[in-house]
Amino acid sequence: MLQVHNASVFFPARDGRVVHALDRASLDIDANSIVVALGASGCGKSTLLNAIAGFLPLSDGSITLDGRPVERPGADRGVVFQKDTLLPWKSVAENVALGLKFAGVPARRRRERAEELLGLVGLDGFADSTPHELSGGMRQRVGIARALATDPKILLMDEPFGALDSLTREQMQELLIDVWARTGKRIFFITHSIEEALFLGTTVVVMSPRPGRIVARFELDFVRQFAAERDVRAILSSPRFAELYDEIRDIVHRPHHAGPHHEGRPQ
Amino acid sequence: MTDLTRRDESVIAPPATPKLVRLHPFGLDGARTAPISLATALVLVGAWFLVAEFRLVPPLFLPGPQEVLAQFLAIAEEGYAGATLWEHVSASLFRIFTAAFVAASLGIPLGLAMGLNRWAKGVFDTPIEFYWPLPPLAYLPLMIIWLGIGEVSKIVLLTLAMFAPVCLSAQAGVRALPIERVNAALSLGATRWQIFREIVLPSALPEILTGLRIGIGVGWSTLVAAELIAATRGIGFMIMSASHFLATDVVFVGIGVIAVWAFAFSYGMRLLEAWLVPWKGKL
Ligand SMILES: Nc1ncnc2c1ncn2[C@@H]1O[C@H](COP(=O)(O)OP(=O)(O)OP(=O)(O)O)[C@@H](O)[C@H]1O
Ligand SMILES: [Mg+2]
Repeated sequence: MLQVHNASVFFPARDGRVVHALDRASLDIDANSIVVALGASGCGKSTLLNAIAGFLPLSDGSITLDGRPVERPGADRGVVFQKDTLLPWKSVAENVALGLKFAGVPARRRRERAEELLGLVGLDGFADSTPHELSGGMRQRVGIARALATDPKILLMDEPFGALDSLTREQMQELLIDVWARTGKRIFFITHSIEEALFLGTTVVVMSPRPGRIVARFELDFVRQFAAERDVRAILSSPRFAELYDEIRDIVHRPHHAGPHHEGRPQ
Repeated sequence: MTDLTRRDESVIAPPATPKLVRLHPFGLDGARTAPISLATALVLVGAWFLVAEFRLVPPLFLPGPQEVLAQFLAIAEEGYAGATLWEHVSASLFRIFTAAFVAASLGIPLGLAMGLNRWAKGVFDTPIEFYWPLPPLAYLPLMIIWLGIGEVSKIVLLTLAMFAPVCLSAQAGVRALPIERVNAALSLGATRWQIFREIVLPSALPEILTGLRIGIGVGWSTLVAAELIAATRGIGFMIMSASHFLATDVVFVGIGVIAVWAFAFSYGMRLLEAWLVPWKGKL
């Protein structure tokens, strides 16, 4: 289990002031769950993810993965970035297998695994292309395959589909659910689309800015329903979905104050 | 809606010889400039020919192209100032090659280290920033006093001139490295050395190659200064000794030879770049 406990982050701003980017955020990510962080721009979502990934030390609080504190980046936490970070001098297969290369896996085995993963994300036959021959959505899929290659305990995704058109985005969401259902990976996913959060999350945490904090939490099962029935329409048109959509919308758009945390737990 | 559902065979099957297209580039991006350059060269030679032919400038100052060509053939046949043309050229090439090799094998690692390490940057920044704007002719006397008049002082002079651009560009290459790339590698379990080998080095490679190209150019332009030091061979020496006898046509031959070799080097570097960093500017 990944546990974030009272995590706070203060950044030094240029003019000497202090930015309170994250305020006592607590979060558990269990096996088989997708935790989605949702909130307006600047509410500390990326800050939280960077801390979990180990790119950013906390000012206060703690993060543990299966009981061990998280201090630096590592192959046990796969990261999918918003901007793709594929290496332009390597082929798609080499990019996917990069983590395996770092781990010292022999070349033949790397290649097999890369092809297997490319199949999983629907990119068979692109192993020998270079990244700049792929579309944005395809690159993002390569990024997911690369993060999965080292078999991490958890997948951290910072608005991975933010730059994609809505059609591709839907395909990618379904693909992610497939991957999740097949591999049982824990996923921490950032978005500012309410719909995406509702569709993907087994847990949705809503965050508010200045200081960045978690203001609401919802336990959902639309994603399990989709994994079982594969019927998007039924989910999107269900009254529960619309209800939750409005409720979250209200929270996101509500003027923020430093009052007690709202803990919505419809279930 | 019908657009989506219609299956029009003529749209789906590609024509026999499809028109191949690619992204509009910004800047040049491999557009053919050779014919334009060739035309420019012809125009320049033509102008030179006319100026010399109609004696607009006395031949002592500007010999015509025919005279220079004749002189070139003569030197190629009989040599000049006690050595054949090839001996002059190979002496200069040896100096430039050696200096480039030394400058690259010191400058690239040091530049990378200076981009990555506080101590390397702190220690070497001052001496490099101090010496590199100095004109080589200014420290030439010191080279002679310290290192004598043999090959060593010439090669050291050239190396010093080439070192700075190579080192500074390697540093710039490291500085231009996007942090996301490093973070991505770290979260894939890379060690520091793996980050360096797999991420930093290839990311800095385009800048390093540009630095090498500039460095070799600087090397050619320092050649004449280097061969002022009691040389008996070398294109630079040939030019200097011809100038003592006001043999302008020989000077022109020397300049032409240097230009051709410098061009060949530059072209070679471009090929190297296309081979080593084909992705440059694409992502
Ligand atoms: N390196 C930094 N230095 C100073 N302030 C920072 C830094 N990184 C983030 N911040 C500040 O912290 C706050 C939270 O930023 P963060 O990037 O976590 O937001 P976000 O929720 O990911 O927003 P978005 O949806 O736009 O990506 C912002 O106010 C931002 O200005
Ligand atoms: Mg962000």
